Amino acid sequence: MFKCFLSHQWKEMTRSNFWQKSLVINFIIGFLLLIMLSYLVLLGLFIDEILKDIYPDGDTFVIFNSVLLYYLGIDLFVRFFLYSLPVINIESYLHLPVKKSKIINFILLKSSLNIFNVLPLLVFIPFAFKVIVVDYSGNIALSWIIVMLILILNNSFLLHYLKRRFIDKPAIIGIFALIIVATMVLDKFDIIALSDLSSQIFVFLSNNPFYIIIPFLILILVYGINYSYLKSRMTIEDINVKKQKKIDSLSRIKYFDSFGDLGEMILLEIKLIWRNKRSRSIINMSPLFLLYGLLLYPNEDMQELGFLIFVGIFMTGGIMFNYGQYMLSWESNYFDGIIANNIDFQKHFRAKYIMIISTVVISYILTIPYVYFGTKVLIINTATFLFNLGFLSFLLMYFSSSSRKRMDMSKSSAFNYQGLGASNWIMILPFFLLPILIWVPFNLLGIPHWGIGAIGFIGIVSLAFHKSLMKIVVKRFEQKKHLIAEGFRES
Amino acid sequence: MIEVKNLAKAYNGTVVLNIPELKIEKGESFGLVGNNGAGKTTFFRLILDLIKANKGEIYSKGIDVKKTTDWKSYTGSYIDEGFLIDFLTPEEYFDFIASVNNLSKGDVKKFLDQFGDFFNGEILGKKKYIRELSRGNKQKVGIAASLITDPEILVLDEPFASLDPSTQIRLKNLLKQLQQEKNVTMLISSHDLNHVTEVCERIVILDKGNMIHNIKTSSDTLKELESYFAV
Repeated sequence: MFKCFLSHQWKEMTRSNFWQKSLVINFIIGFLLLIMLSYLVLLGLFIDEILKDIYPDGDTFVIFNSVLLYYLGIDLFVRFFLYSLPVINIESYLHLPVKKSKIINFILLKSSLNIFNVLPLLVFIPFAFKVIVVDYSGNIALSWIIVMLILILNNSFLLHYLKRRFIDKPAIIGIFALIIVATMVLDKFDIIALSDLSSQIFVFLSNNPFYIIIPFLILILVYGINYSYLKSRMTIEDINVKKQKKIDSLSRIKYFDSFGDLGEMILLEIKLIWRNKRSRSIINMSPLFLLYGLLLYPNEDMQELGFLIFVGIFMTGGIMFNYGQYMLSWESNYFDGIIANNIDFQKHFRAKYIMIISTVVISYILTIPYVYFGTKVLIINTATFLFNLGFLSFLLMYFSSSSRKRMDMSKSSAFNYQGLGASNWIMILPFFLLPILIWVPFNLLGIPHWGIGAIGFIGIVSLAFHKSLMKIVVKRFEQKKHLIAEGFRES
Repeated sequence: MIEVKNLAKAYNGTVVLNIPELKIEKGESFGLVGNNGAGKTTFFRLILDLIKANKGEIYSKGIDVKKTTDWKSYTGSYIDEGFLIDFLTPEEYFDFIASVNNLSKGDVKKFLDQFGDFFNGEILGKKKYIRELSRGNKQKVGIAASLITDPEILVLDEPFASLDPSTQIRLKNLLKQLQQEKNVTMLISSHDLNHVTEVCERIVILDKGNMIHNIKTSSDTLKELESYFAV
């Protein structure tokens, strides 16, 4: 039976839409993933050097152990937000003569096979080999790795339980986070000594492998709690936990009424973004785009003009890119309705354009304070703002008609969610490069500032021609709509 | 009202629909029956310009449907859940459809008032998004939305499927009423031979994309259909 579950899950994963992209994109995603993983391994290999830099006279192993309790706490916190519960489609099995205990065990075991359990091992194992084996002994290293493995699994199951229990009450997790931060602060000022306790525990366990039985018993206990919790809730409505649904009051916004059907279409876009898990994630991500500058502007090495142009495009257009490239895929659920109904495509796209304008203008206004880092920053951001507003926006809308893949808006399984990020940035990379390509020849001629002017100028010119550009966008959409609809219908 | 000429649609080289000629007069109610894969939905999608034909044309009031979108203003349709904007409440959806058709919110209210029975208290004021409705209730929303513009042509793909018995009967009555009072041209497909013979004046059997029978409905039609589909 387990084998059967496994093969179903494997098929579900490999046959999911996520992989049905072109080979090239899958390859690039895989490559990026590999690079990221190898960074972690490198971190594991060189963390002792880093620690020696910070604490020149401490024992690396002891210092490493002293942060582990905090690590486990933070890990739990991060998992709560990033990890999505494994949903196996139990509906398809519940009515069959399959023992419930088997299904539960499978759900739990599946939850232990997730990326959050693998990533720390990529750091821990190299560390154990390089430091513990050399400084202490192979046996101690082995016990230590076993302890780590047990604790990681422990966190994984604990979270599985907590997330099911408290999905509706993120406040509890907030309190938990506050406690961690408070303990860290108290620790820093030597009021409590959790870090000492942490290193004592882990050094002791590594030296006395017999006592590993204690964390192991805790692991069994946590597993048991999970098991009995699931066992009593083994119905379809309980197992796939969802937040309590409520209806929002977007409909009561009367502001858009005065714009007639265009207003109604804009409101539809807003509802689309707000009421679907997948699209809503871009709202959560938006602050990241805007804070990007804080990370880069203070850095002296990052003051290259070409680089600042890139940052400007990213900050004033980041939200637009996320919205723009998916604006049709997000409609895949009801795309037939859009093209069969008496909807004026011109207006349909104008509503989308108004959404784009709003995000770009708001982003621009919010990035104005970066003038603190010099007027250069403001000028470049203004030029890139105009370029986003007038030119890239239309380019995005033009290429949105190339969407062919259906998107399930309700699902945001961790897998989908992350894949979305990576592939999505690769596809829009050319958009970022375009303004820099415009600037490069001016730079080579020794008049880089003219290049920045040119970027802004192109934005203004295309803004002036927005009506004709819109016609081109809509015309392409009308030519492609059958292909798009066909793609969206296949799921 | 609707005229089909040399229509053919193929997927990957397999012909799924082939209608050399077909005319549907104004006010006629046209029923389409056939087993799964017979091409019913494909035909309706072609009429609504949702897919492209490999060959041939469909004329609505004498105008090729793929050339202009004028026909949309007098055609109401519901094929499947792909028509419903699932994150809206039914009320919001009706408002949206009305607004793109330049109807006022007052018009919508007047229209929905007539649908009290049909909705059976399960659609309006429930504070639910369409995606949370049951299949049958979604179907009701879709059918109602197709009628909101007071269309001259109505295209419904298996409207009786997944409706409860009372609603099926109400829908039958509603369709008959639309024929009699407003002379609406109807294209309806169904797996339920009973319903379709009751509602439609003309019935066409599709089999693997070909029109097999083209019958004016009479008292014998149901028997005829049953014997055709009997295995």
